[in-house]
Amino acid sequence: MSQDKTFLALADFLIPAHGEMPAFGSVCSFADAQKALDFRVDLKEGFDRGLDADPALSAEAHLEKLNKEDGAAFSAVTTIAICTYYMNPRVRELLGYPGQESVQYDSKATQIYLTDGSLGHVLARGRKYRPTPGL
Amino acid sequence: MNVESLSERGARARRDEEVDVAIVGAGPSGSVAALHLARAGLSVVVLEQGEWPEYNDYTGARPEHELVSTKLWHPNPNVRDNPNDYPVDTSTTDINPLMFAGVGGSATLYGAQWMHFLPSDFRVRSLDGVAEDWPFSYEDLLPYQLEIEREVGVSGLAGDPAFPPRGPYPFPALPIGSVGLRGALGMERMGWHWWPGSNAIPSEKFGELNACVRRGTCLTGCPEGAKSTTDRSHWPLALKAGARLVTRARVKEVETNEQGLATGVVYVDANGRDRRQRAKLVILCANGVGTPRLLLMSGGAKNPDGLANSSGMVGKRLMMHPFASILASYEDPLDSWRGPFGQQVYSLEFYETDERRGFVRGSKWNCMPSGGPVGVSGAIGSKVYVAEEGRFQDFWGANLHENVARRFGHSLIWGIVGEDLPEENNQVVLSKDLVDSDGLPAPQIVYKVNENSNRLLQFNIDRCLESVHAAGAIETLVSTPVRESGWHLIGTTVMGDDPRRSVVDQWGACHDVPNLYIMDASTFPTSGATNPTATIMAVALRNTRRMIAERRNQKVA
Ligand SMILES: Cc1cc2nc3c(=O)[nH]c(=O)nc-3n(C[C@H](O)[C@H](O)[C@H](O)COP(=O)(O)OP(=O)(O)OC[C@H]3O[C@@H](n4cnc5c(N)ncnc54)[C@H](O)[C@@H]3O)c2cc1C
Ligand code: SF4
Repeated sequence: MSQDKTFLALADFLIPAHGEMPAFGSVCSFADAQKALDFRVDLKEGFDRGLDADPALSAEAHLEKLNKEDGAAFSAVTTIAICTYYMNPRVRELLGYPGQESVQYDSKATQIYLTDGSLGHVLARGRKYRPTPGL
Repeated sequence: MNVESLSERGARARRDEEVDVAIVGAGPSGSVAALHLARAGLSVVVLEQGEWPEYNDYTGARPEHELVSTKLWHPNPNVRDNPNDYPVDTSTTDINPLMFAGVGGSATLYGAQWMHFLPSDFRVRSLDGVAEDWPFSYEDLLPYQLEIEREVGVSGLAGDPAFPPRGPYPFPALPIGSVGLRGALGMERMGWHWWPGSNAIPSEKFGELNACVRRGTCLTGCPEGAKSTTDRSHWPLALKAGARLVTRARVKEVETNEQGLATGVVYVDANGRDRRQRAKLVILCANGVGTPRLLLMSGGAKNPDGLANSSGMVGKRLMMHPFASILASYEDPLDSWRGPFGQQVYSLEFYETDERRGFVRGSKWNCMPSGGPVGVSGAIGSKVYVAEEGRFQDFWGANLHENVARRFGHSLIWGIVGEDLPEENNQVVLSKDLVDSDGLPAPQIVYKVNENSNRLLQFNIDRCLESVHAAGAIETLVSTPVRESGWHLIGTTVMGDDPRRSVVDQWGACHDVPNLYIMDASTFPTSGATNPTATIMAVALRNTRRMIAERRNQKVA
C-alpha cells in the first residue's frame, strides 16, 4: 500500500468520526500530515518506518505491533496524526478553540475575589506562617 | 541602542586580558551578579554556553505550537537534543533534571511562578529537627527579595497571611481567570488557604518587557516578550553598564595557581577552540547540576575529587522537589488554554510540618490552566498527567474524542511541589560514558525519591482530590511522582560555616578557594517547597553586594 493510503488508514483508526467530530481523513490530507512533519524533522525516520506496513494487517493490528516493537515509529505516526488534526481550522472551530490567542484585560480592574468576599475568608482564617525571629 | 547591538558590543573579546570577575552562566543568578558588579565599576565577563533567545522561534502564537514545542522547547535537554545544552545521564534517577542553556538560562522555559521562601524554610533544624538551618534568616533576605522583584517586574497581591506582612508588588496581580476561580472555589469549600498567583510576568509594560496578553505558552517561551527573563530584565542594563557576555562559550575548567587561588577559566568557544579568560574572581552560576559538574571537571591532578571539594560535598545533597499533579475536569467551561501559565492561584495550606501526617515539612500547590487539545488528550508526549501504562486504544478512537471533549477548555491542573530533604546519596557525578558536544563528561544524576517525599505527596494528593471534588470535578487524573519534573535543582555545593561539612560560606565563597564563588541554588542547605528563582536571585544579590563592599579585602591570585 502507498504511504498516503497507509497513513490515512492508521489516522482514521486513531481518529474516527465521533459525535460532531469528523474522522481524520474527512478534514485532513496526507499533504497536511507532511506539512506537519516539516516542523518535526526529528520524527521523519520513525514516521517512514511506521508506514512500512504489512498489507495483511488491519490498522489496529499494525498499530498494536508498532506500539510493541517500535515505540519511536508509533510515537511519530500518532504525534503527526493528532497534531495535524488539532491544527485543522474546522476541527478547532468545532472544539471552540481559537488557538493560544491573546486576550486584552484591564490590569487595574478590581478582581472579583476582592468584591465577593472569598479572599476576605482567607484573611479571616488568620496567619498561617510560623514566625522565626529569635530562632 | 537596542539589545541586539548592545549584545554585539558586549561580546567583543579582548585577548589575554584579566578581568575583575568571570561569571559562568547567564541565567537568573549570573545575570544579577553581572548587572550589579558592572554597575559598581568592576570589569565583568560572562561565559554562557547557549545563545541569545530568538523570540520568533517561540511558536506560542502559531497553530503548530503543540507540535513544535514538545521537541524544540521541551524542558529536558536530552529530548531537545540541542548541541548548546549538555546531555544528562538519567539512567540512575527517579526524576529527570530540567533546564535550558541560553541568555536567561532555564528561566527561558520557566513558569515564572514567583514565590519567596517562607520564614520556616531558613530554620528547619530549629523548628522541625531536620537538615540544617540556613546561616541567615527570612528577615535578612527580605530586602533583597523586594529589590529583585522590582528588577524583575513581578505582579501579585500583597497581604497573603501565609507570609509575614510585606509591601506591595510592583504590578497588580494578573487576572486569575476561570481556572483560578475554580481552583479557589475548591479551597474555599474546604476552608483552606489560597491566594491569587504572584508571577514574574508584569501585567503592564515594564522596560523591555511587554504586558502579558495571557497567551498561555509561558512554559515554552513567551512570544510576546512579556514573561520576565533576564535577557530582557537585566542584560540590556548590564551591557550598558559595561558587562561583557560571550555566548556559545562552554567553560570546561576553573583554573587555580600554586596557592590554590582561582586565576580564571578555560572555555570552548563557538568554533570549538579552547580559550582562557583570566579573572581575579570567578563566580559559578551554572545551576545545581552544571556547577558541581564544572567543579568535578576542575582541579587537575592535585585535586582528584574535583575543585573546592575537600569536604567531599560537591555534587551531594541534590534536591529536586518531587512533584505530583492532578488534572481535574468540570462540566462548566473554564477557557483552560488561557494564560498565564504561571500560577493563577497558589495554596500554602499544607506548607508547615504537622507530625500527625507521618512526614516532615510540606508542600506548595499551584493552580494552572491545562492547555491545548493535544496536551489534555494524554495521547502523546510526556504531559505530566498522562497515565504511562495501559492500552494505546484507551487514548485513541472514540476515547480520544471523549477525553478531549471532557477536558479541553474544562480542566485545571494543581501542581504539588513537595519539600525535598537533603540526602548525601542523592547526587550529581560525572558520567563515565556520556559526553557533551565538546567531548566533556556529562553529569549523571543519582537520585531516589525518599520515603518522606512519597508520604508527603500521597497526603497532598488525597487532600487535593478532596478540594477539586468539592468544586465539582467530574474527572481527575493523578500523576506522581512526575518523572519530568526536576525543574528546581538545589543543594549540590552546600553553604555552611564548617569547611569540613560544606563547600561555601554564607556569602557563596568556596572555603577551599576563597576567590571562587557560587551564586546559584547549589548553595542552598534546604530546598523549601516554593519555586526557588526568587530566592536564587535574592541570594545572588546579597552575595554580590557583599562582594562589592569587601572587594578591597578580597584575596586574589
Ligand atoms: C520547565 C521549567 C519550569 C520552571 N518553572 C519555574 C517557576 O515557575 N518558578 C521558579 O521560581 N522557577 C522555575 N523553574 C526553575 C528556574 O528556571 C531556575 O530556578 C532558574 O533558572 C535558576 O537560575 P540559575 O541562574 O541558577 O540557573 P540556570 O537558569 O539553569 O542558568 C544556568 C546557565 O548556566 C549555563 N551553563 C551551565 N554550565 C555551563 C558551562 N560549563 N559553561 C557555560 N555556561 C554554562 C547554562 O547554559 C545556563 O544558561 C523552572 C525551570 C524549568 C526548566
Ligand atoms: S501568558 Fe503572558 S507571559 Fe505567558 S506566554 Fe502568554 S503573554 Fe507571555
